[in-house]
Amino acid sequence: MFRISYLLWVLLLFSQLGCNPSSKSQRLTLAVSSNMQFSIEEIAARFTATTGIECDLVVASSGKLTAQIMEGAPFDVLLSADMKYPQMLFQNGMAPAAPKVYAYGQLVLYSPNANTDPKMEMLLKDSIVHIALANPKTAPYGSAAMEVLEHHAMLDSVRHKLVYGENVSQTNQFMVTGAAQIGFTAKSTVFTPSMANQGNWLALDSNSYTPIAQGIVMVGTKTKEHQKAEAFYNFIFSDESQKILKKYGYSVNE
Amino acid sequence: MSWEPLILTFKLALVTTLILLVLSIPLSYWLAYSKARAKPIIQTLVSMPLVLPPTVLGFYFLIAFSPNNALGGWLSETLGIQLVFSFPGLVLASMLYSLPFMVHPILSGFTGIHTSLREAAVLMGKSKFEILLHVLLPNIKPALLTGTVLSFAHTVGEFGVVLMIGGNIPGKTKVASIAIYDEVEALNYGAANFYSLVLFAITFCILLTVYLINGGYLKKFWK
Repeated sequence: MFRISYLLWVLLLFSQLGCNPSSKSQRLTLAVSSNMQFSIEEIAARFTATTGIECDLVVASSGKLTAQIMEGAPFDVLLSADMKYPQMLFQNGMAPAAPKVYAYGQLVLYSPNANTDPKMEMLLKDSIVHIALANPKTAPYGSAAMEVLEHHAMLDSVRHKLVYGENVSQTNQFMVTGAAQIGFTAKSTVFTPSMANQGNWLALDSNSYTPIAQGIVMVGTKTKEHQKAEAFYNFIFSDESQKILKKYGYSVNE
Repeated sequence: MSWEPLILTFKLALVTTLILLVLSIPLSYWLAYSKARAKPIIQTLVSMPLVLPPTVLGFYFLIAFSPNNALGGWLSETLGIQLVFSFPGLVLASMLYSLPFMVHPILSGFTGIHTSLREAAVLMGKSKFEILLHVLLPNIKPALLTGTVLSFAHTVGEFGVVLMIGGNIPGKTKVASIAIYDEVEALNYGAANFYSLVLFAITFCILLTVYLINGGYLKKFWK
């Protein structure tokens, strides 16, 4: 008898835990691609100040976030580094509305050495042993970097030097630690103190790669959650957000 | 989808295990029989990879191996060795990562041998090396097998360290666990499934063989 009542208590406890939404109701979970890591903090802070809705940030590569969303991750909005993944979510019926471009990302060549100004020709030098870029298979900034190398007809001569970060953040980590002497990364990340103080960057000609159109999409199918998500969705297109994005090196529609 | 990451994984595991086996026998011998004061410290250090997250090892390796730092700079300038983003670097990192899995079984093998066996050999005038080779090692065969297989399997299952210092280079540092992670992220579940199934099947067979041998189930086939 004791055992059954004990079991009932445990069940009751868990059911209580399960349906206690009040603490979560004013929160929004944003899945954010890693190139947005720094700008999104400022945007989310402004959003919270304006609407009172707190944001939880989950930063990872767009591909991983999309895979997680497809397996039911409890995210409300995806800010991807490209349009491919948001489009895929929409086509699979996991998003209530078609994705929209909120900013265009820019690619830079970054050297972690404060005394060198990075140039494309430097990649061919023997002193450059490793060139870091994000995984072109999953990270849009990685495939843009491959296009730049192809554009300069350098891909075959430097292929053996390439090392692939899981995403833009890991690519930066390879460079900041000095493990790679140079690399391609998102312009939006080179303004951070750890990267700006240590090295130099060169903006790459935007004609040498396909524009990195970054898409935002609401995810999930519960209408109640959508109002909060929609508030954020609208906020990212506001002048205030677009100004912040521009400050972090994105180009926006004006 | 290719066999390359799988072959690389088993190559890494094989090289790591062989070097570890050679190094761990003297180390475990020392840990088992030495009365040095530093022994508890060394013992603790050997066990550290068991409890530390692989990211800690990966992080310190990334910094230590970087050509900007003392160790990495010295290696690349004087010996021309690049440890970060390279196969030798992965071997070194895997050795540290799998060290306790080799040392612990061998150590408990050594301590499990009754002292009378060693004492008898000493009385017969055998040298320490002869005793190790002809008395101790033959008596701890199951421990050696367990250590070898556990280190091998543990290296096959390595992920965090390789993710942090490997750089995902096909044929050099892109091992199966990384390839799986990559394919899942690229939403190629078919390829991820292929690598995962092969890994599952092979490691299952390896572990099963150990349990069969150590459990004495295979005695009737060979003695």
